[in-house]
Amino acid sequence: MKLKRVVSLFLVSAMAVTLLAGCGKDKGTNGGAANEGGAASNGKYADAMVIENFNVAANYQGVQTGWFGQLVKDKFNLEINVIAPQVGGDALYQTRTAEGNLGDLLILEKSQWQDCIQTGLIKDISDKIYATGSNLTPFKKQIDNLNGAYDGKIYGIPTEMMDTSPTSVSVDDIYSSPRIRWDLYTQIGAPEIKDLEGLIDTLKKMMDAAPVNDAGDKCYGLSLWPDWDGGDAMLGIANVVQLTTWYGEKIKQSVILKPDGTFIPLTDKNGSYYKILKFLNHAQRAGIVDPDSATQNWDSACAKMGAGQVYLEWYSWQVGFWSVGHMQDGRAHRVIPITDQIYYADADAYYGSGRVWAIGSKVDDAKYERIMDFIQWYTSPEGLMYQHCGIEGFNYYKGEDGRLYTMNESALAENMNVPAEFGGAGYSDGNNKLNQWIIGSNCTNPLTGEPYATSLWSSYKEATDTQMVKDWRAKYNAETPVDYFRKNNKLVVSPNISVPLESDSADIQVIRNQCNECVCDASWVMIYAKDDAEFDKLWDKMTKDLDGLGFQDLMAWDKKVYTVELEAKNAVK
Amino acid sequence: MKNANSKRVDYRKIRGYKEFLLILPFILLVLLFSYYPLYGWVYAFFDYKPPFPLSWDNFVGLKWFKSMVENEVKITKLLNVLRNTFAMSGISLLFSWFPMFFAVFLNEIKCKPFRKFVQTVTTLPNFISWVLVYAIAFCIFNSAGPVSSLGQKWGILEGPVNFLQSADHVWFKMWLWLTWKNAGWAAIMYLAAISGIDEEMIEAAKVDGASRMKVIRHITIPSILPTYFVLVMLNIASFLSNGMEQYYMFENSFNKDYIQVLDLYVYRLAMGSGGYSLSVAISMLKSGVSVVLLILANKFSKLVRGEGFV
Repeated sequence: MKLKRVVSLFLVSAMAVTLLAGCGKDKGTNGGAANEGGAASNGKYADAMVIENFNVAANYQGVQTGWFGQLVKDKFNLEINVIAPQVGGDALYQTRTAEGNLGDLLILEKSQWQDCIQTGLIKDISDKIYATGSNLTPFKKQIDNLNGAYDGKIYGIPTEMMDTSPTSVSVDDIYSSPRIRWDLYTQIGAPEIKDLEGLIDTLKKMMDAAPVNDAGDKCYGLSLWPDWDGGDAMLGIANVVQLTTWYGEKIKQSVILKPDGTFIPLTDKNGSYYKILKFLNHAQRAGIVDPDSATQNWDSACAKMGAGQVYLEWYSWQVGFWSVGHMQDGRAHRVIPITDQIYYADADAYYGSGRVWAIGSKVDDAKYERIMDFIQWYTSPEGLMYQHCGIEGFNYYKGEDGRLYTMNESALAENMNVPAEFGGAGYSDGNNKLNQWIIGSNCTNPLTGEPYATSLWSSYKEATDTQMVKDWRAKYNAETPVDYFRKNNKLVVSPNISVPLESDSADIQVIRNQCNECVCDASWVMIYAKDDAEFDKLWDKMTKDLDGLGFQDLMAWDKKVYTVELEAKNAVK
Repeated sequence: MKNANSKRVDYRKIRGYKEFLLILPFILLVLLFSYYPLYGWVYAFFDYKPPFPLSWDNFVGLKWFKSMVENEVKITKLLNVLRNTFAMSGISLLFSWFPMFFAVFLNEIKCKPFRKFVQTVTTLPNFISWVLVYAIAFCIFNSAGPVSSLGQKWGILEGPVNFLQSADHVWFKMWLWLTWKNAGWAAIMYLAAISGIDEEMIEAAKVDGASRMKVIRHITIPSILPTYFVLVMLNIASFLSNGMEQYYMFENSFNKDYIQVLDLYVYRLAMGSGGYSLSVAISMLKSGVSVVLLILANKFSKLVRGEGFV
């Protein structure tokens, strides 16, 4: 009995201690004594500071830790507490704006930013932004363009700005195009793919040739996922919306912008939304779509891509899942153009990618100064190297010829351990959680004369110039996919502009939300329709329901808003 | 005489004040947590859009209430949601005897270790969150899961099937999941009630030659019926608030027409993309329906028992 009491007393006190420990500040995360004697602890940045970063781009919430956390701590004696609506829900924005203080350092969508300026939540930073030697002075044109409506005051900085021009495309590969497993495609005789039906045939043949992956799991032509639906200025399901760009059309919420510069309703049966949805339905009926598509989440889809179970991909960044590791053995995905398609591509984000960096109006002078110093560093070549290339000696090194070479290429994907001298912990865990650049990765690095993006380094291109890439070049008589599209007149480039777009009224917000839900639900059911008749019946029911929810009003609104954008784009052309 | 009287009155008054002070904290709590939030109803009468504060310029009167029922599509949607709420709460209510019988039969197991084992195993799911329950369901019922693979192996299914995608018998399936998760937990109350039954009564019945079934029928169940009725009453009280976590997890495009309940609908409207005013209006509708239900239940109680509970 006595023993029991002693044990329980011990357990209770242990619990109490752990609870209390949880309340305390975690001093270990930043490497403890690592910053002693660093630049941060003496002089200008003597007192430690924590800033709150309200960040619509982040998919991590909490204090930045790991190597990037230590870097910022060493340089500025600063800790960044990221508040992410992507993690904590959109209600964060509502409650924080209602309270009158969104945070210290803000990364917002442009329409939110405009509303917040009107309600006095954003600080004017015109006194410091172009200070002598500012790294932002070369981007004055773009920044002033964003802030044009505010009488010389500067409230925000665009994101991912480029130093090229609003009409140039300086990537090798556009954001979305059909990417097919090269080994299987050549194995079935590399047939010319004329249209979407041809794509289904090709994928089916590929599936017949290789029904399972190395581990014996079933492979599919396509694997879809529903959890991105309705985000990023689109109405309808993400997988369909993305594929519509293969016909040069761009979905702008409830309307489709055609290559000739006219708008048609999303519900138009001659539009690309209908076309792509029907393609997915035919593909599903042909048995090449993963049956879990409608209920799995992005992580499950991602795992399948990483295991080589998916033969068609459509984002340029998907190379990281499978293709990068299979460049040598020729089993990577490559862009295979389809005869009847032309491809929509956004030009370089010269004026920015649509989001805005800003500073909250409630910051005090000391905080303001330190944040501006941080932004100056963040936009310096040194800061950009950390963002786009990683850590020297871990992610890249300087070769004897003076060029930079990549190393530990899978550091991010495999969350490799970072050496203690750089802050320890996993590379991905400690990566920059702000997740939004001010200056784009394709800008030229003055220190090397090459772009920051590692995939555009000459050393990297030489290393990845495998037999597969050579075969592709020979077959298509072009250096890169973009080169091929240009030569064959298959590229619709949309210039980058920056105009203020009106944010939704309360009515439109509700209509948009309900219409989006209606389109998404109906779309998924249509993908699984048994035949064309059922498909069309569901489509007609969807359009009828949409009209009941106010779709016509929504379309009129979107047409008005996006015509402003279109006119600005035409002016640049 | 007069003096003594007034003294007594004073004493009573003071006692009255004292007793009032005793309940004051609770009145304040009720005011703070039950009545103060009603202030939020004002949002239903404005075009509210954060970050802009409420102002009279945005006062719109009953616009959002009208928009709820302004055409056939919207009315159908609302009726669908109400139907689902009533159906799923109704099924739970209809089968509310299930945990009671479970407890009664559990109590009859004479092998104590086995009884404890069954009780533990059935109670544990109560502590698993719905997110995990869905993860388990997805593992078992997805197209590569054991049910689909075995079905194909035995020739029952033609190809891989994702069962969670089907809209058939959604209400019943949801009840099954709910029961799997809750039955053991709900049985605890009845087990407590059973242990409170006088042993002498049961022994006397046995001496008189009552079989086990007869003891259950004539002693155990009548003794725990009052507990059952209390729990059913509590159930009715939360008829419209049948939670949303379960449906939130199991919802997909295929079963949405049958699974979306009122709470989930309001949540999606408000948190989905800021239709705060409309979702407040719909919540008010919910309160309205609840009041109607309460009045009906009270009337019913008066009819059956001769007294209401309000």
